[in-house]
Amino acid sequence: MAMELPKKANLPRLAIAAIVGVLLCFSTHSMPASNHSEYEVKAAYLYNFGRFVEWPQKAPSESTGEFPICVFGHDPFGPALDSTISGERIDGQMVVARRISRVEEAASCRVLFISSSENKQLKGILSTIGKLGVLTVSDSPDFLQQGGMVQFVLAEERVRFEINLTAARQAGLNLSSELLKVAAEVRGNSRPGD
Amino acid sequence: MWADPGERLAHMSLEELGNIKVTSVSKEPEQVYKTPAAIYVITQDDIRRSGATCIPEALRLAPGVNVARVDSDHWAVGIRGFGAVLANKLLVLIDGRSVYTPLFGGVYWDAQATPLEDVERIEVIRGPGGTIWGANAVDGVINIITRKARDTHGLMVSAGGGNIDQSTATARYGGGNGKGLDYRIYGMGDVRGHEFHSDGRNYDDWRLGQAGFRVDWEGNPRDTVTLQGDIYDEGVGQSTTFGLYSPPGQMTLDGLAKLAGGNVLGHWKRVLTDRSDIQVQAYFDHTNHFEPEIGESRNTYDVDFLHHMTLQGNQDFLWGLGARLSPATFAREVPTIDFLPHHQTDEIYSGFVQDEIPLHSPRVSLTVGSKFEHNNYTGFEIQPDARILWTRTPQQSFWASVSRAVRTPSRLEEDVQLTDFATTVPLPVYLRVVGDGRFFSEQLIAYEAGFRSALKRKVYLDIAVFYNDYDYLSSFQVGTFFLEPTPTPVHAVLPLLTRNGIAGKTYGFEVGPDWKPEKWWELKVSYSYLDMKLANRPGSNDPTSVLIDEGSSPRNQFFVQSLIDLPKRFEFDQTLRDVSALPAQSSSNVLPAVTVAGYLTADVRLGWHISRQLELSLDGQNLLQPHHAEFGGNPGVLVGIERCVYTKLTWESHGESK
Repeated sequence: MAMELPKKANLPRLAIAAIVGVLLCFSTHSMPASNHSEYEVKAAYLYNFGRFVEWPQKAPSESTGEFPICVFGHDPFGPALDSTISGERIDGQMVVARRISRVEEAASCRVLFISSSENKQLKGILSTIGKLGVLTVSDSPDFLQQGGMVQFVLAEERVRFEINLTAARQAGLNLSSELLKVAAEVRGNSRPGD
Repeated sequence: MWADPGERLAHMSLEELGNIKVTSVSKEPEQVYKTPAAIYVITQDDIRRSGATCIPEALRLAPGVNVARVDSDHWAVGIRGFGAVLANKLLVLIDGRSVYTPLFGGVYWDAQATPLEDVERIEVIRGPGGTIWGANAVDGVINIITRKARDTHGLMVSAGGGNIDQSTATARYGGGNGKGLDYRIYGMGDVRGHEFHSDGRNYDDWRLGQAGFRVDWEGNPRDTVTLQGDIYDEGVGQSTTFGLYSPPGQMTLDGLAKLAGGNVLGHWKRVLTDRSDIQVQAYFDHTNHFEPEIGESRNTYDVDFLHHMTLQGNQDFLWGLGARLSPATFAREVPTIDFLPHHQTDEIYSGFVQDEIPLHSPRVSLTVGSKFEHNNYTGFEIQPDARILWTRTPQQSFWASVSRAVRTPSRLEEDVQLTDFATTVPLPVYLRVVGDGRFFSEQLIAYEAGFRSALKRKVYLDIAVFYNDYDYLSSFQVGTFFLEPTPTPVHAVLPLLTRNGIAGKTYGFEVGPDWKPEKWWELKVSYSYLDMKLANRPGSNDPTSVLIDEGSSPRNQFFVQSLIDLPKRFEFDQTLRDVSALPAQSSSNVLPAVTVAGYLTADVRLGWHISRQLELSLDGQNLLQPHHAEFGGNPGVLVGIERCVYTKLTWESHGESK
């Protein structure tokens, strides 16, 4: 006994029209704020990290009067980084954005964002600049495990960050408690002599 | 209207920055751009907003994956064709543990009841994944990855119910010591009613319970250790037909299959130097599977080792070894279905190498590798592949690959004695599928290419094309009649020997654009096209397999998901799916081939984050018809998957603000 197979309903046309109708209604209203791109927010974080970190005395760029925030590797920020920091100062120094392509140039940076395009060489990069007093930041998934200091994470469509305190201390950087309080996670917090 | 959004952001506090909802340039994680294969990642959020209540339903979200629901508790899943209830050309893993049964070489989807709230993501790779994951990853790999224990702290309780007499309850508790040790335990129970049966035989209701744990330890920067395990017990309603030697010759039984089992898995990753790390994984799995007509009890012991190194010239090099032993005992429940010998241990020893070599131009890389495997049925198998990736810009990549993959025999092809009744004229005649140990591996050589691009900031496009050259696909070789005196009465038997008598090609493409027309509205579309041209190899006299293999896969599949964020923390999500007809679908040589009509149906979900901790959702599924059939797999009429509505309430003590 063959079952009579249901025919495709004409319902779909009606359903689609209804859905489109509802959507058109909403498109004219303003929606809850989500006006910023992920990298606009990350750029703002980079600037803020610079404000909440104490730098060792031997910071190399003090003489130039600049506070460089650098991007190493492919640049995911674009103009968002420059417009975010434009005209800002930290510790009396003018914040500037630099894109660098060689590890050697990192020595002159204060905050260094390492793009995930450099994932394969991450360990090597971090061991080279590890003691230079540069705050290393990235959104690569294993950044902290590889020895990085601050890692961006996306949680529920919001940008948060995690900190590897051990790595920061080894570079002679002192992270303000403000920063640690807001971090989603702080690792290496209570391990002496690591 | 702010003059310069960037400037205002810089003056926000850290807390404020952490509360801004952002739109990503592309939803795809970086790894997807860098993978020279047709990979699609289904995220936890995709799953939550799709209204899927179990893993097969979540798989519908990936392009190129054919998911057809047979009845309340069975699904037929395939990637690029060959979908079947026990699909043997797919490798399915949960956290690295393979969940297919060597008895049939397929997956019992009804036994994979990981709570979807604990799934971090599902990675679907279309095409052979032979090199790293091994044999049977012929048409694809589905890797279900659960959330780390540190992401599931606190208490979570969720309960739901709907009109198909379905109720689910899940509870989970997790915590950690703040020093790198995190754990969770969970338990869930699920009861589902039957779908639509025009003949009133409502056999497909089921109940299941599963519980488990996970412990993660990241105490020092070099080591990551995970230990996890689950146990489950289910009663799965189903209908089976099997032969009898006495009149009437066959019997259809609506009964309960009992599935129970457990597993334990340990995983250790250690960073050796800045240029190398190793991973070791071991698991044990015990499965008891007892249906009215067959039964099996199986233990699986598996150990895998992987070493990852960065070599000179920035080469990313992997090599590994693995061993899997799976002793099992078959319990003969009816005289007409048997696997000989009853006790058998499957052994697989494997090794693989893979090297990713950046070529002279920094944005082009070549990956070559091979898996070497030795199994107790066919001996030594080699699965080489070569892939090339060109990252033209960080938002655009092209890739192409050639690979060889094999599907090694399961007990079904090697050891089975399956006798089905055919007719009583002039004396009882039976067909008997016989595995006489002469079946060898199915083979595929796949040629694939793809393109991914974030077109403008809001549009993302993913295209993959493939040409699969299959050889030695499974078939039956019709033998010669012989008379068999016992069991009485005397009857004639026509043997159907399991052979590799089919070859042919399949080709097609998948397109998956992702578009965010407004900040609060995301549209995901996927379209898949498949064409199959199979034929008997010289010497093969199989009369039906080509027709059924081609007739059981849909030619077109279209899927649209629309996700809308409404004010007051509401979510409104809709799904539309259209699957073309299956002209000659059959799940076995007992069931005649039927035509399953194509269907267009829709699901709608309304979600409400009542508070930080409480979420309510109302889901309607299969809304466009009272019921529709997707796949035949049971004796008798096609089961109609019913229009249904269900609601779910979830409370999390560590809920995030939305």
